Order: sequence, then structure tokens, then C-alpha cells
Amino acid sequence: MISSLLPRNLRRTLAGQLLALAIALALGAVVILMIDENPLRVFATLMRGAFGDSEKIAGTLLQTTPILICGVAACIGLRGGMFNVGIEGQLFLGGFAAAWVGFSFALPPVLHVLVAVAAAVAAGAAWVSVPAYFRVRFGANEVVSTILANYVAVLLTSYFTIFLFKRPGGWSETPPILPSAYLPELFSFSRLNIGLLIGLALAVATALFFRFTTTGYAVTMVGSAPKFADYGGINVRRAGFGVLLASGAVGGLAGGVETLGVHHRFMEGFAPGFGFDGLIAALLANGSPIGTIFTALFFGALRAGSLLLEVDTTASREIITVIQALIILAVSADLLLRRKGDRTGGRRWKF
Amino acid sequence: MEILATFFNVGLVVATIRTTTPILLVALGGSFTTKAGIFNIGLEGQMLIAAFFAVIGSIWTGSSFGGLLIGVAAALAFALVYAVLVVSFRANEVVVGLALNILAGGMTISLMKAIFGTRGSVVGRGIVGLPKVQLPGARDILGPSYAQLISGYTPLVYVAFLSVPLLVLFYARTRLGLYLRVVGEKPEAAETLGISIARVRYIASLLCGLFAGLAGAHMSLGYITMFTENMSSGRGFMAVAILIFSAGDPLKVLLGCLLFGFADAFSLRLQILNFPSYLILAVPYAVALLALFALSWRTRPKLIRETLETMRNALAEKPQDSGGKLPADNRP
Repeated sequence: MISSLLPRNLRRTLAGQLLALAIALALGAVVILMIDENPLRVFATLMRGAFGDSEKIAGTLLQTTPILICGVAACIGLRGGMFNVGIEGQLFLGGFAAAWVGFSFALPPVLHVLVAVAAAVAAGAAWVSVPAYFRVRFGANEVVSTILANYVAVLLTSYFTIFLFKRPGGWSETPPILPSAYLPELFSFSRLNIGLLIGLALAVATALFFRFTTTGYAVTMVGSAPKFADYGGINVRRAGFGVLLASGAVGGLAGGVETLGVHHRFMEGFAPGFGFDGLIAALLANGSPIGTIFTALFFGALRAGSLLLEVDTTASREIITVIQALIILAVSADLLLRRKGDRTGGRRWKF
Repeated sequence: MEILATFFNVGLVVATIRTTTPILLVALGGSFTTKAGIFNIGLEGQMLIAAFFAVIGSIWTGSSFGGLLIGVAAALAFALVYAVLVVSFRANEVVVGLALNILAGGMTISLMKAIFGTRGSVVGRGIVGLPKVQLPGARDILGPSYAQLISGYTPLVYVAFLSVPLLVLFYARTRLGLYLRVVGEKPEAAETLGISIARVRYIASLLCGLFAGLAGAHMSLGYITMFTENMSSGRGFMAVAILIFSAGDPLKVLLGCLLFGFADAFSLRLQILNFPSYLILAVPYAVALLALFALSWRTRPKLIRETLETMRNALAEKPQDSGGKLPADNRP
């Protein structure tokens, strides 16, 4: 039986997440009824839009890619006890940095991609470095500072795009990047590119890093029991800084993959909400990079399906963000957990 | 000088008071939860949902007061969900807050499409804005050009600014205010005294929802009568930033909010000078970030402060000590 194959903790977590999912979908159905639509029809349309034919499946995987990479970024932060809510901003700056390298310099094919990706990673890490420094040095709350930094990042990239690098005669977008900086595509019928493989490799590598390396263990300890880690001789501040920096770097990578692989230019509002979706995917997976692969696929499917939703029904595609939020609320309640004594507000921090 | 005169005049003060109001209301709401020891990042969503339902309510009931009530009710519903999850289920407050913000964003856009059939914004369609209160006698005392400083605002402006002294009294002089502070600062002590921590936190969360609802209603029914997608645009998060460095103290909250209101009003005026609008729009967020960083340095944890102090004392004493001891040590 399956129950004997999986460890008890994992079984409990899975059962809890599935129960939460069911409750969230039920609540989502109520919301869909509120906007005068048939929930079954909406869910069926979502499924058809996500997995209807091979092109649609490729579309789902295309949406999954940035969510997965952002999800891994969030996982790294969560493991180290840091809420990096600024992945959205790091994604935008990473995307812009990659595009800038892509259209400003002429380099040989493979090298061009590598330099552009490196620029994206550096931009993401640089953007998070200031909030990260103030977090570990002075305890400035990283949730608020990274959220506020998101707004600045989006406006800043818009400014770069429209005032400094606007394509003549175009909309609010930069000139296209040179073909030498394109990420190779996987199939002829879709824009799906090796970004997906990068994301998968990254998720597996992150999981292995946390499972098998000393640093990974140290970071997990800093996240779950900072005092113990400190007592054990780990430099908690340096670990926290490193965690946020790595998380921001991966967030920047997500933006780079998106511009180099999909849009081939930087546009205003090129990747709305991928950073938040990634964070939600990581939360649903309970901070596990491998689990994030599946939750990212789920959210990617919702996103891809929502495109058809806008065409075939009167519902707006934002209904999927409602469903996502409900899922997270249901998961956060952790209904299967038996709550004991201690009413003095000792809160469960899940990660 | 002429440029300065176009910037700094009565109009700027009036604009500052107007832009301060929503953020002051929401930050005062957050002060209840902050004092009660809850880190409430869900202010943004409560404000947004209230702004939307205030518009809906004002269309349905045909009056701005009806809109205000329905908007506040929506924010209270969100605050209740927040309290149930955070207090009763002891869920992670950051996760719940963020999820409710995302829920508010998605829900308002979905409902807007379903009810009005549009994307982007709802304008006109019988939305009734809040009335402007003309204080009698203001014109006679201050003269026509300065009367606008105290007269002609929407009622919520007065509510916001009058709430500051009231909250000071509330925390210092009332039983509930004391309970809130005890629960936030020393939950163990509250437990020993027989105060129900859960009940106090529920009350704090609902009071917070009430003020966030007023803030949202002021956004969509105050000086502009319309609803736009994500129109709270980070004001809830700025309020949280203010709450972090003010620790929920009403007077400090007022100071912080005036700073942001001023940054907001000033950045709008910068547009006269043809600054790129995107950079101007980023000014309030940058100010919030800078304030958060600058003040976090001052409110370092007590432990670090004490360590630094002892180190400084040690360093300051060293020359004297060595001056006195060195000759003695060198005399074997």
C-alpha cells in the first residue's frame, strides 16, 4: 500500500494539503457562483485550456517555468527563515538586465546567453542586497522592505524602458535582443525553451543542497532554530544574508529566462505576478523545492487555463488568483494539526 | 523664489492633509493589531476590498453613507477571516496577510468584470462621493485663502486626525487599551491576569478592519469617486512600515503618515517640473524604504545596543586603565 511506502510526516503533510485544496476549491466554487458562472464549466474550461492538446500543454509548461524558478527562490528564503516577498521586483530587474545585455552587446552565441543570464542573476542579487543587509544587521523587517522594493523596481524598469531604451515607434518596450542571446527552444510549435529544464535542474540541485551538504544543513537550522544554530557556532547573520542573496539571484534568473526565452525583449509589465505565484507555490509545497515542481505545474496550468477562460466564459482570468489565495488560506490553517495548550500567542511558524 | 512659491504654499499643506488621510486611517487601524502583538500585513487587502465595496454600496444605496457602511463591512469580514486564521488556527500571520491581499486583488477585479463588465476602473455610474464639510465661521476667522486649511474636507479627514488624540487616551486611560498593550507586550502576564488573549486579539483585529475600511472608503469615495484595479497601490504596506518603526504609538504614527502624505503631495507637484512620471511615482515607496532602514538602525534590538554600549565603555576606559597599569606592569 502507498501508506506504508511514504514516511508518516510526509503522509500527514500530503493529506493536509489535499484537504486544504478541496476546501479551497469548494470556496472557489462559491465565489464563481457569486459572479454568475457555473463552477463546473469554469473548472472544465481551465482544464481544457491547460491540457487540451499538445500546444496547450506546452503553454502550461511555458507558464510553469517562471513560477517554478521563482518558487525555488522562495524555497531558498523560506528554508533560511527569510520571507523574500520581493521576488517580483528581482524578476523585473533581472529581466531588464538580461534584455539590456541582449540588445546592447554583440557577443558570440553561447557566450551571449551566459553573460545575459549572469547579468540577470547579478541584478536580482543586487536588488535584494540592501534589504538583506538591513535585515541581518539591524533587523529591518524583510517582508515590508522587499514588498516596498517591488513597487520601486517595477517603476524603475518602466522608466528605463520608456525614457532611456524605448524602441523607436514601438510600444513601451525595449528593442528586441539579438538572436545570439535567445534561449534555445524545445519544440517547433511553442515558445517553450530550455528555461524549463534550467528550473527543474535548479529545483533538484536546491533539494540536494539542503539534503546533503553541511551548508545546506546549517541554513536549515538557521531558519528553523536560529538560537540553536548560533550556539552551534554558525554565523547566523552571514547565513541569513547569503540566503536572501541567493534567493534574489534566483529571482533575477527567473526574469532573465523570461526575457531571453519568451519575449526576446523587455516590456512594461512583462511578467505580472510570477514572483507572487512562485512564493505561493513554495508555500503550498511547504518550502520543499521538489514539491514546488508540482505546485508550480499546478499554478502554471491554472494560468494557462485562465487564458481560455477569458475567451470562453464571462469570468475574468483573475478568478484564478482568488482560487490560489483561497488555497493558501486553507493550507495556512493546517486543519489536521491538533492544537495544544499554550494560548500565549506562541505561533507556529511553519518553516 | 517663484519656483519655491509654487511648491510651498497653502495648497501643498491642504494636499498633504488630503493624501495623509487614507494612510493615517489605515495606520491607526494597524496600531491596534501592532499593540496587541500581531504583525498585520493584510492592511492592504482590507483597504482595497473596502474601497471596492464602498463604490458598490454607494451605487446600490444611492448614498455615500451607505457606501461607507458596506465598505467597512467588507473590510471587517476580511479582518474576521484574518483573526480566525491567525488567532484561532494560529496560522502564520505573514502568509495569511499576503494571501488575503492577493484574494482582495483577485476578487475586486473578478467582481468588477462580473458586475460592471469592464476591466481597469469603474467611473460614474451613480457613485456618490462623500460630502465636503464646510466649517461655519472658518472663512471669517482665517480669511478666504487660509480657510481651506481647516474647512472643506470630507468627514473622514476630520475623523482621521481627531482619532490620533483619542487613541492616545484610549491606550493610556482605558481598560481595553491597557489589555491590548499587555497582550502585545507580555502575553504571559495577561494570561496570569485572566485576560483572554484570543478575545483581545479578535477585538484588535476587528478595530483594525474598521479603520482600514474607513481608509478604503475614503480612497474611492473621497476626493476621487472611482475604483481602479489595485488602487490602494501599496499604501497598506507603507502603513505597515510606519507601524514597524512607530511600534503603534499614535503620535509617531501621525508623524510618519504626515511624512508620507507630504512625499505623496510633493511628488505630484514635481510633475510640474517635467520630471519623468515613473520616477516621481516611486518617490513615496523610496521614502518608506529609507525611513524603514534609517529608523531600524535606531531601534536595534536591546541586546545589540547594550553590547555596543559596553564595548564603547570598554574602549573609552582603556587608555586610562593602560595609562595607570603599564608602568606598574613594567616594573618586574
